[in-house]
Amino acid sequence: MIGFRLSAERPPDPRRINDVVVQRLDHVYEVDPELMRDHIQQHDFPAWDTRRIVDSRWEHLAWMHAHWADSVVSGEELISTEE
Amino acid sequence: MTSTLVTDPVIDELVAICGPDNVFADRSSRVNRARVPAPFPVHRWAEHVPDVVVLPTTAEQVSEVVKLANRHRIPVVPRAGGTGLTDGAVPLRHGIVVDVKLMNKILEIDLDDRTVTVQPGINMLKLNEELQQYGVIYPDDPASYPCSLVGGRIGTSGWSLIGGRYGHTRDLVISFQIVLPTGELIWVGDGGGRKVRKSSTGYQLKHLFMGHQGTLGIVTEAVLELVPRPEAEFAAFFSYPDYETAWRSTGALAKSGLATLAGVVLFDEWKLDYLRRDDEAYIPQPDDVRCVVATAMYGTTDEVRPGAKRLMRIGKDTGGAYLGDEISQGDWASRHDRYATPLHGRLRDGQVVPMSWHCEDASINWSQLPQVRREWHEIVARLGDNFRIFDDWGMFAYTNAAFKPWGDYLTEIDVGIWEQELDDAAWDAWVTAKRDIAAVAIAHGGSISACHGACRAGEVDLVPEELGGGWDVMKKVKRVLDPLNIMNPGKYLLDEAYE
Repeated sequence: MIGFRLSAERPPDPRRINDVVVQRLDHVYEVDPELMRDHIQQHDFPAWDTRRIVDSRWEHLAWMHAHWADSVVSGEELISTEE
Repeated sequence: MTSTLVTDPVIDELVAICGPDNVFADRSSRVNRARVPAPFPVHRWAEHVPDVVVLPTTAEQVSEVVKLANRHRIPVVPRAGGTGLTDGAVPLRHGIVVDVKLMNKILEIDLDDRTVTVQPGINMLKLNEELQQYGVIYPDDPASYPCSLVGGRIGTSGWSLIGGRYGHTRDLVISFQIVLPTGELIWVGDGGGRKVRKSSTGYQLKHLFMGHQGTLGIVTEAVLELVPRPEAEFAAFFSYPDYETAWRSTGALAKSGLATLAGVVLFDEWKLDYLRRDDEAYIPQPDDVRCVVATAMYGTTDEVRPGAKRLMRIGKDTGGAYLGDEISQGDWASRHDRYATPLHGRLRDGQVVPMSWHCEDASINWSQLPQVRREWHEIVARLGDNFRIFDDWGMFAYTNAAFKPWGDYLTEIDVGIWEQELDDAAWDAWVTAKRDIAAVAIAHGGSISACHGACRAGEVDLVPEELGGGWDVMKKVKRVLDPLNIMNPGKYLLDEAYE
């Protein structure tokens, strides 16, 4: 890792979510690294790249909605208007 | 290993037909067209490598290639996107692979009679990007939507995620041109009019060639249905504490009579366990989320909004709890593109290994889903007891009928396979399991495959049992149309037609 903007490079320490999942960044879940010890090679991953991939995924899903229809009806909104 | 039939003079003839830039005999071009994502014996890859690959650009070129193959008795295997979950595009006897990817043109958009005419190598997503400016879409929506091609959809008689509203490939392809196994070019549809949706003239030949898995020719042009582009989309995911409640709710939602309802999907407990382990949308779900039912609607805003209110009430009244907009909208959008998912699986000690996704499908009536689910999981559990390379990723059941989301379900069990570890013993066990899975489907009054095709190793052994007397007719048709067994020989057990 290069020596500047370390907060963008180095992800925070993980916190355990359940027996097989840890979390370092909001809304980003990772397989417990201990379970990728024997058969999967791991490598360092900068935090900014994780965020870029997650953001791209959400952009892709938003694109897919717009691809199929002009608008998306919200279930939460329907529930709130029923009550 | 390759066959000895494709000699240099044959290559020269192919170059004369398709042009020097569209004939490939190099190792990379051939090896990359040996398999598809369907279960594949990777340790026997060499058995399926074609001798030569051609990428024609016209129907006439395809016809000439097939005539050449007849003259030299060389097997021909058509290939479109190569995304099939059965092995239609996998060469069993080497030979010539006819890859239609360069035949990817839109030939006509007819907004008066609501059709679009295309070549077989076009992808539905790219087609719909072009159609968007006209306010119409071609609503064939497989899990491979961004990567599969129209020709392959016809070859497999594919299933569409939103088929409960718009129909499936067989309903959405109005007519098509096909090069017969002897090289003649014909059009098939409902009657003779290329844009006619309903005719009573003659036999319904379109359906004969729908789902042929490359055994009856090569599609070279197709006339497709256009429907109004939806103004509104609505997706709602409900959670349930147990399978029984979720299954009954699925039936109630599917039978609601809501015209804009495009599909209902039931996730079983094994699927939730898998997703809770590896999918960011499900990892944070509480433990009482044991099963999920997904629904989606498309249409005008005036139709979808009131329909969605009714759908939400049915979901709630039948024991479901709405999971929220984020998971409903996010997960639904991802269902148009399941091939983008990176895959890994687990050994029983929990260690992560690279695994490929293998999806075994069948058509099963709603009433039979619970028992089929039990028996299928038992089969995969036995497989995992004996071989550590298999991982049960759970089951989905998708509404399967066209234009009406009730009755029968595309029922699938997803199995992770650590392919690099396959050997003959593990492959044989897998084929036996697939045969057992198919036998369960037939025993419960279902069909071996709802959308992939039934020519995969193992299950194909039971096609004669499922079709009964129809199997003899299928063999007679094959022998008459393909007298030299040129088209995709060995596929679908159709060598029996020549015995």
